[in-house]
Amino acid sequence: MTEQVQDQKDQAAREAAAKVADYEHGWSADIETEFAPKGLDENTVRFISAKKNEPEWMLEWRLKAYRHWLTMPMPDWAKLNIPPIDYQDAYYYAAPKPKKVLASLDEVDPEILEVYKKLGIPLEEQKVLAGVEGARKVAVDAVFDSVSVATTFREELKKAGVIFLSISEAIREYPDLVKRWLGKVVPMHDNFFAALNCAVFSDGTFVYIPEGVRCPMELSTYFRINAENTGQFERTLIVADKGAYVSYLEGCTAPQRDENQLHAAVVELVALDDAEIKYSTVQNWYPGDAEGKGGIYNFVTKRALCQGARSKVSWTQVETGSAVTWKYPSCVLNGEDSVGEFYSVAVTNNFQQADTGTKMIHNGKGSRSTIVSKGISAGRSQNTYRGLVRVAPQAEGVRNFTQCDSLLLGKDCGAHTVPYIEVRNPSAQIEHEATTSKISDDQLFYAMQRGLGQEEAVALIVNGFAKEVLQQLPMEFAVEAQKLLGISLEGSVG
Amino acid sequence: MTGARALPTRKDEEFRYADLAALAPLWPVAVEEIVLAAGEVRALTISNTGSQAVVRDLSIRLGAGAQLTLHVLNAAPAYGRIAVRAELGEGSAFTFGAAQLAGGAATLEVVTQVTHAGPDAISRQVVRSVAGGTATANYLGKVLVRPGADGTDGEQSVRAMLLDRTATANARPELEIYADDVKCAHGCAVGELDANGLFYLQSRGLTPADAKRLMLQAFIAEAFVDAADGDDLTAAALAALEQLL
Amino acid sequence: MLKIDNLHAAVADKPILKGLSLTINAGEIHAIMGPNGAGKSTLGYTLGGRPGYVVTGGSVSFNDADLLALEPHERAAAGLFLGFQYPVEIPGVSFVQFLRESVNAQRKARGEEPLSGGDFLKLAREQAGRLRMDMDMLKRPVNVGFSGGEKKRAEMVQMGILDPCLAILDETDSGLDIDALRICGEGINAIMRKPDKAVLLITHYQRLLDYVKPDFVHVLAGGRIVKSGGPELALQLEEQGYEAVAA
Repeated sequence: MTEQVQDQKDQAAREAAAKVADYEHGWSADIETEFAPKGLDENTVRFISAKKNEPEWMLEWRLKAYRHWLTMPMPDWAKLNIPPIDYQDAYYYAAPKPKKVLASLDEVDPEILEVYKKLGIPLEEQKVLAGVEGARKVAVDAVFDSVSVATTFREELKKAGVIFLSISEAIREYPDLVKRWLGKVVPMHDNFFAALNCAVFSDGTFVYIPEGVRCPMELSTYFRINAENTGQFERTLIVADKGAYVSYLEGCTAPQRDENQLHAAVVELVALDDAEIKYSTVQNWYPGDAEGKGGIYNFVTKRALCQGARSKVSWTQVETGSAVTWKYPSCVLNGEDSVGEFYSVAVTNNFQQADTGTKMIHNGKGSRSTIVSKGISAGRSQNTYRGLVRVAPQAEGVRNFTQCDSLLLGKDCGAHTVPYIEVRNPSAQIEHEATTSKISDDQLFYAMQRGLGQEEAVALIVNGFAKEVLQQLPMEFAVEAQKLLGISLEGSVG
Repeated sequence: MTGARALPTRKDEEFRYADLAALAPLWPVAVEEIVLAAGEVRALTISNTGSQAVVRDLSIRLGAGAQLTLHVLNAAPAYGRIAVRAELGEGSAFTFGAAQLAGGAATLEVVTQVTHAGPDAISRQVVRSVAGGTATANYLGKVLVRPGADGTDGEQSVRAMLLDRTATANARPELEIYADDVKCAHGCAVGELDANGLFYLQSRGLTPADAKRLMLQAFIAEAFVDAADGDDLTAAALAALEQLL
Repeated sequence: MLKIDNLHAAVADKPILKGLSLTINAGEIHAIMGPNGAGKSTLGYTLGGRPGYVVTGGSVSFNDADLLALEPHERAAAGLFLGFQYPVEIPGVSFVQFLRESVNAQRKARGEEPLSGGDFLKLAREQAGRLRMDMDMLKRPVNVGFSGGEKKRAEMVQMGILDPCLAILDETDSGLDIDALRICGEGINAIMRKPDKAVLLITHYQRLLDYVKPDFVHVLAGGRIVKSGGPELALQLEEQGYEAVAA
């Protein structure tokens, strides 16, 4: 976004806020600032809504969520060890600010450069990611150098009728569509972090694929890595109308450092009759230093509503970052013969903690689900799979297959599996299997005897272990994810 | 789960599926301590087929090299909860086989926590549940492997079958593992009888009801394989099964 | 004994049998041969009444009764035996128990007295011996841990014990080595080659027919019988292949 546009936006925000903030309180004069004042109260929520130029109904929605959030206690049931989070000690809105501009790649933290190299990211892209002066500014929809690529991309989507824009823009330009589905999959009272997100979300993506349309390209927030945004409380809503198809990629393999410790995103997917949504995530948030300090807390609520008959949603995730990860991409399978899939590789090292899994709620007759979870623990980390497969009494002929495998690297880490299976219909066939193992000395010796160094050997074996999940990823992601697995386990063996 | 505490609620993990109303008059439950000395071999049976609600809480410790075989038949028409905590010393072996036949409006549950405290211990759990009517059959089973418990070999095989759409089966086989040189696996399946098997039996002349009975009998009997009093237990289990069919 | 008239059958909405007609009289041994996918196993399963195999047209009468109106266990009691191509494993149910219950279920359906435990074991031992099967094997759970050949021989033991009038044997020879083949062949001859019985052998290769010489051979292609003949037809098929002969 250019400086000019930014100024215009701020101007508009100021005016809107001034109208709304008709208080005696002093802060209303300080809308010039880039940050909402520290802490979270109703004013913060109004400030955010004003900054985003939101219509009245949206502000009301946020306030309702905020008021509800106040009544909710923070959950602690997962096997996580989290120091108490002081919700008043954080900034809930930071105006998009440009990343620090560097003169050249030489000024970039060499550790980060090392990672870029290992991931095989081309030099030009590295400059963009690092915010080097002169590199093309990361615009909203394109990462690559040429203007024509960005234009073609937009043209193609437009031709197909695909709506793909930021959630704030969507709230303004397509209010009916957004109103129809926002909060229908993850209601504001669903959980503590969802309520918080509803109140203070400040960025996110909205996608709508019209009937019968197969989205011509993979949509990616990689395209939206915005030099200006923190993406702390993202809200994403993807709706695939009858017979539509879309593949959506979220995340970036490059390490993302952030001042903000807390990330509480909400992702809602809706698939109508015969529609399919493929949602892939590669997440490598900063995990904290080797002592486990300063990492990011990643609490995400992701849920898909397979509303239509024969609708299908596949969640694929590769999680290698964050100090604490708490996410359960789930599918509510209401449609007859609907399908839900969950493929996950979660790697934890050093002091990371991951508690992740899925919920497959079978309400529709003939609905099916497949769950493949691969957990890799190293260092002193704890890696937990937590899943639920529930079959309602009216759901005839349900099929589920779940495979959870854990790989332990070292004696000081933990691998845990907690599946819940709740069945109320006799015709359901639910199968769950879990195994735990380590890389055998034989395997390691064999690989090394053939010439691989120890870390290479471990990376090879780990990739083999995770293969079933990795091959679900769209190709660009798959290659990077493989490398990422190796990198995240560095220093874990020996 | 100890006797001194207040009545649990649904928020207590081990009681998430329990029939708390039925539990209340029986609470608190005295903990039965069972200790096997090093090298001791013992077999125990719990047969819960009476008409009263039954809640039992066993706390077991196996000394080094000890072996305990515990078989449970949980088939009361009211509330039946058999909770077992076992701590396994080095090289010990714990074999657990449980069959649950839940009918009427009963809630039956088997709740186990097997802790591999020492290395080279073996645990095997086989649980088979059949629920009909508006009954609920539950299994919650945690296998906890402490740091240093290398050479652990732990297995859980949990299966449940529903006879009516009004019945419920809940299962939560859990692994909590802090050592790496271990062999731990669990399999859990809830489902119908194999259609091919049913057809095979019928093609030989068995009526559909008899074919189903035969396969269910075999299903239940898997819990009592190798039981010393296996025949008696199986007979009692099959009698309970008849009540459900 | 068996009259199949213009039978049409489908599996998973896909039509497989497309107008198959065949008559088998008491005392006859028929062989049906055909390329893979022709519908040979479908014929066996359809006559046995397996769920998933839907009759979409035609009729089948067995000893003057409407076979298709009967449930699988009723067809068994009426004297039908289906030898499975892939005998099913049933963990936890011993062969002996299973067969005794089956025999008695069939006898009950026919209004006969059940066999006593002792009489049954005697019968089982006899039949097992004929097929060179150890009684110990029959105490094991049905087909669990049995090799392919052992499963097929066990099918023959069942046939001996249940004593059907019509045996439909689906690829009984697949998976058998030379010795097992001979033993099964001899078993079929001993049990079923009688004036009041009949056999329908469904087979891909002709080698079983060296031991159980058929009276009639039929070629099944595209869901129907396209050619019928005497035993020499089998040899012709072996030499020339299905395509040449069925054309």
